[in-house]
Amino acid sequence: MNAPTDPVLDIRNLTKKFGEFTALDNLSLALRRGQILGFIGPNGAGKTTTIKILVGAMRPTSGTATIAGADCVRDAWRIKRLVGYMPDTFGAYDNMRVREYLDFFGAAFGIPRGARAKRIDEVLETTGSGWMQDRYVEALSHGMKQRIGVARTLLHDPEMLILDEPANGLDPQARIEMRDLLLKLAGMGKTLIVTSHILPELSRICDVVAIITQGKLRAFGTLDQIMRDLRQKRTFEIQLCGPAQVEGAAAAVREALHQDEREGVKAHATESLVRFDTARSDTELAAILAALVGLKIDVSQFREIPKDLEDAFLSVTRREAPAA
Amino acid sequence: MIPVLRREFLGILRSPRALAALLAAAVAFSLLVLVRWPAGGIVDLSGAGSRGAFLVFAAALLGGVLLLVPAFPASSIVRERNQGTLILLFNSPIPPIGIYAGKFLGVLAFAGLVLCTTLPAAAAVYAMGGVDPWRQIALLYAVLLVMAILSIAIGLLVSTRATSPDAAVRVTYGMVFAVAFLTLCPHALTRGTTGLSATIADWLRRLSPLPVVMHLVGQGGAVGGGLLEKDSGVWQFLVCGLGLAAVLAVATILQLDHRLFDRSRDAGKITDDRSLWVRIVRRLVFLVDPQRRKAGIPFYLNPIMVKEFRTRRFGRFHWLLRLAAGCAVVSLLMTLAATNGTMDWGVETIGGLLVILQIALVVLLTPSLAAGLIASERERGGWSLLRSTTLPGWRIATGKLTSVAWTMLLVLAATLPGYLVMTTIKPTMWNQVMLALVSVLLAVAMTLALSAAIGAFHTRTAAATVTVYVVLMILYLGPLVVWAFRGDPFGEQVVRFALSITPLGAALSVIGMPGFTQYELIPIAWKIAGAICVASLIVYALQVWRLLRPE
Repeated sequence: MNAPTDPVLDIRNLTKKFGEFTALDNLSLALRRGQILGFIGPNGAGKTTTIKILVGAMRPTSGTATIAGADCVRDAWRIKRLVGYMPDTFGAYDNMRVREYLDFFGAAFGIPRGARAKRIDEVLETTGSGWMQDRYVEALSHGMKQRIGVARTLLHDPEMLILDEPANGLDPQARIEMRDLLLKLAGMGKTLIVTSHILPELSRICDVVAIITQGKLRAFGTLDQIMRDLRQKRTFEIQLCGPAQVEGAAAAVREALHQDEREGVKAHATESLVRFDTARSDTELAAILAALVGLKIDVSQFREIPKDLEDAFLSVTRREAPAA
Repeated sequence: MIPVLRREFLGILRSPRALAALLAAAVAFSLLVLVRWPAGGIVDLSGAGSRGAFLVFAAALLGGVLLLVPAFPASSIVRERNQGTLILLFNSPIPPIGIYAGKFLGVLAFAGLVLCTTLPAAAAVYAMGGVDPWRQIALLYAVLLVMAILSIAIGLLVSTRATSPDAAVRVTYGMVFAVAFLTLCPHALTRGTTGLSATIADWLRRLSPLPVVMHLVGQGGAVGGGLLEKDSGVWQFLVCGLGLAAVLAVATILQLDHRLFDRSRDAGKITDDRSLWVRIVRRLVFLVDPQRRKAGIPFYLNPIMVKEFRTRRFGRFHWLLRLAAGCAVVSLLMTLAATNGTMDWGVETIGGLLVILQIALVVLLTPSLAAGLIASERERGGWSLLRSTTLPGWRIATGKLTSVAWTMLLVLAATLPGYLVMTTIKPTMWNQVMLALVSVLLAVAMTLALSAAIGAFHTRTAAATVTVYVVLMILYLGPLVVWAFRGDPFGEQVVRFALSITPLGAALSVIGMPGFTQYELIPIAWKIAGAICVASLIVYALQVWRLLRPE
């Protein structure tokens, strides 16, 4: 039995090669119980490969991955009990009602009939899908199917849930409901790995985020940590009272910045603002503001533009792009 | 129309199936002529050798058209609808008739291409002498072309109404074979009689290409105890075939509009929540009501087997009961007809027909159930879910096989009353019936194992179903074609070998079906069937294991 502080998921130097092509390169990360990991990366980055290794559907070329102490390669049987996996395809069967569908997967996990019926009621309630238990699976909408998909992963009460694109294709309302459901599951002590392309959604629910590109882990940690790591350059905006002074203000900012930062200064006359990226300290930025005031430029606002997960993701992927 | 035609034709040509079909046709027909080419390049003046070659050539061509062509139109529309591209076509300026014509001509162009690959072989047959280039070869191609047109029209009509490509393939093959073979049965039953039923039966017979082709190769009346008579009916077939194809085309075009998508989601109405009166009526109508809420899967049943029964429309019990009842009625009617003396066929012939009915059910139903056992899971994403469960591979493999085996056994059991009546009339046939039943059971096992093994290598159910049907038709119909041409051109040894490949010949021989009694096929046919069955099961098990292990 793991101690509460032990990582539930422990990936060490995981590498997967297909011939000459390296799909996953020395990936290492760990996750504690009850955490939600946002696993993001562009298409073909290695997310699905990682997930497949974790659920025992693929063998790594080297490295190890353990879930609650069970090795994903050697203890494949235990892994199936420990992990609830929802792939990006639903896997519907024709002519099957939701309850029959869940009953089948419950039986496939060896849950006794009596306990299974009770468990189905529980997972339907957890996912708010009780009202659709008599519907045919193939007749469900995409949002309903995603809920039933989550219910299916919960049937055998796994410690960890791996959800591949659970919010993909959902309307805003269904997305909010899915977000609440994932938070509810984390509140129940489940550890979640969630992949998604809808980054604002992930940033709202994830405790930790892993950004992967070209099979390599580029950033890993809490959202704040990642932002700090990526914050070599911050973006600032200077809002002026009118468009007449925009060019003058831009010239003054360029004068104050280093040579390599001058190209990043953009003057937007229509919006009466100047935007620039810089790695300068707050003291140096105060000096820039003072210089503008000294030049009698009417500054109404001098503000830093906050960055979000999307910026972090783009920052990482753009940084890696030349190497691609 | 042109963009649809181009895409359809190129789409077919790009598929590995089409390439395989073209290559197979070219190679097979070249070999056919080579094998039949006169030794030393000397042609016999009677032309018997070339006529024999033409006969085999024509039979193979007809078989090729019946087996290859229906697969392409059957999935054409339903696949587009499921993929969402059909609605894009409807929203383009192409009218429904243009969409239909594009699809129709695309498949027809491919069928024409396949027929073209056989032209050198036809030329070689002509070069041997003794075969008329116009009244035999050209007419044969005309008949085959009309049969291809009819098959495409049937396939496209079925495709507009089907909900999945594999269902479309199943129904299309069933209908094409019904047109080719079942249309001959009413004529056989009413032969020698006059009146409206005899006239209708005679016209129905005109829809089958079989008598026409046999007449063209000079075998009219030689096959099937006079089922195919000397009257050629080439022109009647061409007119009837084209007429029926035109009717089907109009029916299909009329359906090609937005109504295809105007279907609401099933609300999942359940009998348990309905009034007592409705529950009683449904109980009486269905016996096993498909809309009742199901109890959980008990521990002693394989969940995969139960799932297979529940997810197959045809596998649901109310359908099985209907089929079983239908089979029981047909088998009893046949026996009754024999005992009443309405047909002077004798108990052995009726027994033979019962065997043929059983094997036909096996060959038609088993692939539709077994070919997609693994392919449908892989196609719809269920396989990755099954892999993530704790079910061991052997339970998945056996659960799937037993789901088909029980279905087939139930269907076959429904035909047993016919045998019971037979043995009551002629108790001395008890041993023969037992041996015939063992042969039929072996046929079930072999067909099931072969279908499952072949299907497991596919990722699409429709493709798996087509491949299995083609293999089984060759396996079961091939020996019958060889038997039909026993003596000329096939010798005794060849016929015996061909009949021993499947248990069908053994069952017909042991039951005493006229024309088969001279062949001793047991136990060799049983051994061959057993060997095919075991080999197929090993292949199936290995493939399931391979698909379940980590990549």
